[in-house]
Amino acid sequence: MPANLGLAHLSNAFLIVALLCYSLAVLAFAGDFAFGRRRGAAAGRQARARVPELVGAGAADSSAPGDADAAAADSPAPGFGSRSRHEPAAGAWVRAALVATTVGLAAHVLGVITRGLAVHRIPWGDMYEFVTALTCVAVIFFLGLMIRYKAYYLGLFVMGAVVIALGLAQTVIYTAAGPLVPALQSYWLSIHVTAMTVATGTYFVAAVLGVVYLFAARQARLVTAGGSAASARIMRRLPGPDVLDRLAYRTVMFAFPIWTFGIIAGAIWADQAWGRYWGWDPTETWAFITWVVYACFLHARATAGWRGKKAQIIQLAGFGCLIFNLVGVSLFVTGLHSYAGLN
Amino acid sequence: MTGLHTPDTTQPTEGPPARRGPRPSRARPVRAQLGPGGWLRWAWRQLTSMRTALILLFLLALGSVPGSLLPQQGLNPSAVQQYFLSHPALAPWLNRLGLFNVFAAPWFAAVYLLLFVSLAGCVVPRTIRLARSARALPPAAPRNLARLPSSARLETTLPPPQALAAARALLSARRFRLRVAGDWVAAEKGHRREAGNLLFHLALLGVLLSIGLGGLFGYKANRLLVEGNTFADTVTNLDVYHPGRLVSPADLAPFTITLNRFSASYITSGVDRDQPAAFHALIRYASGPGAPARGYDLQVNHPLVVDGVRVFLIGHGYAPVFRVTDGAGHVVFNQPVPFIAVDTGTYTSEGVIKVPNARPEQLGFIGVFLPTAVNQGGRLESAFPAALNPMVSLVSYAGNLGLGSGVPQSVYQLNTAGMHRLAVSPRPLQPGQSIKLPGGGGTLTFTGYRQWISLAITYDPGQLPALLCALAALAGLLLSFFVRRRRVFVRARAADDGRTVVELGGLARSDAGGGFETEFAELTEELRSSLARKSPAVQHSPGSQDAPAAERSPATQHSSDTSHSPDIQQEGE
Ligand code: HEM
Repeated sequence: MPANLGLAHLSNAFLIVALLCYSLAVLAFAGDFAFGRRRGAAAGRQARARVPELVGAGAADSSAPGDADAAAADSPAPGFGSRSRHEPAAGAWVRAALVATTVGLAAHVLGVITRGLAVHRIPWGDMYEFVTALTCVAVIFFLGLMIRYKAYYLGLFVMGAVVIALGLAQTVIYTAAGPLVPALQSYWLSIHVTAMTVATGTYFVAAVLGVVYLFAARQARLVTAGGSAASARIMRRLPGPDVLDRLAYRTVMFAFPIWTFGIIAGAIWADQAWGRYWGWDPTETWAFITWVVYACFLHARATAGWRGKKAQIIQLAGFGCLIFNLVGVSLFVTGLHSYAGLN
Repeated sequence: MTGLHTPDTTQPTEGPPARRGPRPSRARPVRAQLGPGGWLRWAWRQLTSMRTALILLFLLALGSVPGSLLPQQGLNPSAVQQYFLSHPALAPWLNRLGLFNVFAAPWFAAVYLLLFVSLAGCVVPRTIRLARSARALPPAAPRNLARLPSSARLETTLPPPQALAAARALLSARRFRLRVAGDWVAAEKGHRREAGNLLFHLALLGVLLSIGLGGLFGYKANRLLVEGNTFADTVTNLDVYHPGRLVSPADLAPFTITLNRFSASYITSGVDRDQPAAFHALIRYASGPGAPARGYDLQVNHPLVVDGVRVFLIGHGYAPVFRVTDGAGHVVFNQPVPFIAVDTGTYTSEGVIKVPNARPEQLGFIGVFLPTAVNQGGRLESAFPAALNPMVSLVSYAGNLGLGSGVPQSVYQLNTAGMHRLAVSPRPLQPGQSIKLPGGGGTLTFTGYRQWISLAITYDPGQLPALLCALAALAGLLLSFFVRRRRVFVRARAADDGRTVVELGGLARSDAGGGFETEFAELTEELRSSLARKSPAVQHSPGSQDAPAAERSPATQHSSDTSHSPDIQQEGE
């Protein structure tokens, strides 16, 4: 069935709206970073937030700003690098950024759906669609993190990276809507690519966290070494490196089983398409390498007690392998996968 | 770091739970005088240590990198030849290191086997230990429960034994394993985490074993089949044959396959023009000599399963049919010749025709087949992969084909060393057209074309076990990630004012998913209401009729580690 061009254009329009909204969100997050309320101002909130379940009914309304200030009054403010994850209640900047992100996400989801309707299949069948979909997953995951951990400080970084990736997708690797070659038409392929998309979107967030971790750890070191006022100011906006470390770890723990499942589904598909479930085709090999590197990260972090810098560098290496698989292998090495739709 | 494999036996009393530093290693110092047995044991411990496993794992990943970047013998032998031609100095060295066949190289197998042994040597003892510890009791309650990462304090009018009984009932209803002594209850839950982790590693072993099984007893083969032709699955009939180490020719399934017709449809418009839309190979097959033949529509992703062997459609192409009459007037050649596509976008294909029986001289032709020939500024090109306007252009040679030299020749290459080129007009042929060879050398007629398919034939007994093990590994992974192992302690003591102070403390050993805080808070809440229900009517504080008998002393519920955020602390170690 040929692609429905009207819907394809609609999809593009939605994605451009998404990109615009995300860019606004980045600006707003940057505004918060620069001018928003400082962590120190409401540092005591963590005491309130710590055991909300234990506080009797009606004792605390977590959204009341006065409550935060009251709590701040009677608990010591943590210094820089506190392990607290709790930011002050969302200020105006953050609220604006959240609105922009949510509107952008709605447009993004619609863009992905209309693309799927236009091509009559799952809308992550070529490289452009894949990046579009994985950034969508990253934004959803990030919003989840914000709701669960109030991790507003991540906005600038995650959304910044999303804007870059989605912008690249829209410009450099844009592919017009079309059907898939026969080898790519399979039930298992859909499952495989869906899992890989979700896992990649999540790894994407973990990688951003890893980079922010390395940055924050460096700033924290500078401050400890009696360093610059700029570092101290930055650290007042960022959570302690430990929080980032743990958050990145958990994000990878979320993504790893999905990636594992994606590899299994891919093996099933390969088995149906080519008669072997594993053939060391370059794409397969790099998916395996990626898996092993992330497994090393989990081991290093969980059993060998390597927290912090070394572990995060392994994590980033894993993401590097993933990206190489997407970009390097699809474009430069030919294998059966030849998935990019660009060759 | 063998100590890292053992379950955590650290008593909670030993200090704050922020276990940051490396844990003490159990590895005993290597003594100066080790007997041979001692050395062996030492080597075994090293091999089965977590660190070695990690290094091996990493080496496996690193080792597969060249396998993905350099052309591989098993995947693409002609690319390997090409690499030898373009890098004459480097290629032999790479070859010596096995880098053109990484996944079959001895060093790769060595890493793989060592990893296998390491994993087995570590996981099997852990399984035994887990089975034993499944019945072990939780550790004793620490003296000061308030120092645990989560703690709470309740007061009740119930006497301590009843308060403790309420806590016991609550915890066992929540399926904690209990240990009761004196004035405390210790409870533990979440051994499925360990079990999940072991399941994961055991299943990983299973995957490695299944791959080995396939390598020993399976086989892979390829066969090119032209429309109208039949082949039987025997070693001599296969173009490429890779048997497993323990497979003999007699083990091959004795089926036969005939290709009746192949059809491909292509997208005719849009950006994906020329991309294939669907392939159908209509075949007839019989599962053995004399068995009834059955029809099957073979498609990409829809293999034929016959005698436990699977047959896949993996490629297709054109086989133009030629008839050659030699100078003596005999028809010495009349058959389809498979041509190989050099451009899968347009299916421009190349091939050679060898006519060893022609007289007076042997004949050879190098041809290009254009499925949809169009004239592009004086040059003929193919514009579309389907055969809408098929044409062939040929270069003709006569002389000695060199077939008798004993050196095996590719059917896709013409050795022109002993031949001379014939002066024939380079006019391309349409079906039915002929070329006359000069000097009464005979004629060649392009009579039409057929299509061919290439089939991959695979038998892999390890396939299903590998899948099952992989799924088990996934299940184990999920268990070990999302089950947390946690302990809760409750102590009830009579206070000076005659009431009973109930202290709770808890810690999660591996709370990667977060949420122990919530669970602990729920437990505290439930215990409070349970105590309130059971306690006798309130005797004191007449001012508040419905004041709960067990009430929280406001400032005493807290997390001891003030610098930790509740949800992110305490995950796995
Ligand atoms: C001799 C070899 C190995 C040993 C001794 C070993 C040991 C361990 C141990 C003790 C854990 C438990 C972590 C915990 O309880 O928190 C663990 C977790 C894990 N292992 Fe292994 N392992 C080995 C090989 C492998 C291999 C080959 C893989 C596959 C790539 C692997 C993947 C994992 C994963 C994904 C986890 C989960 C990490 C976590 O719990 O956070 N392991 N391993």
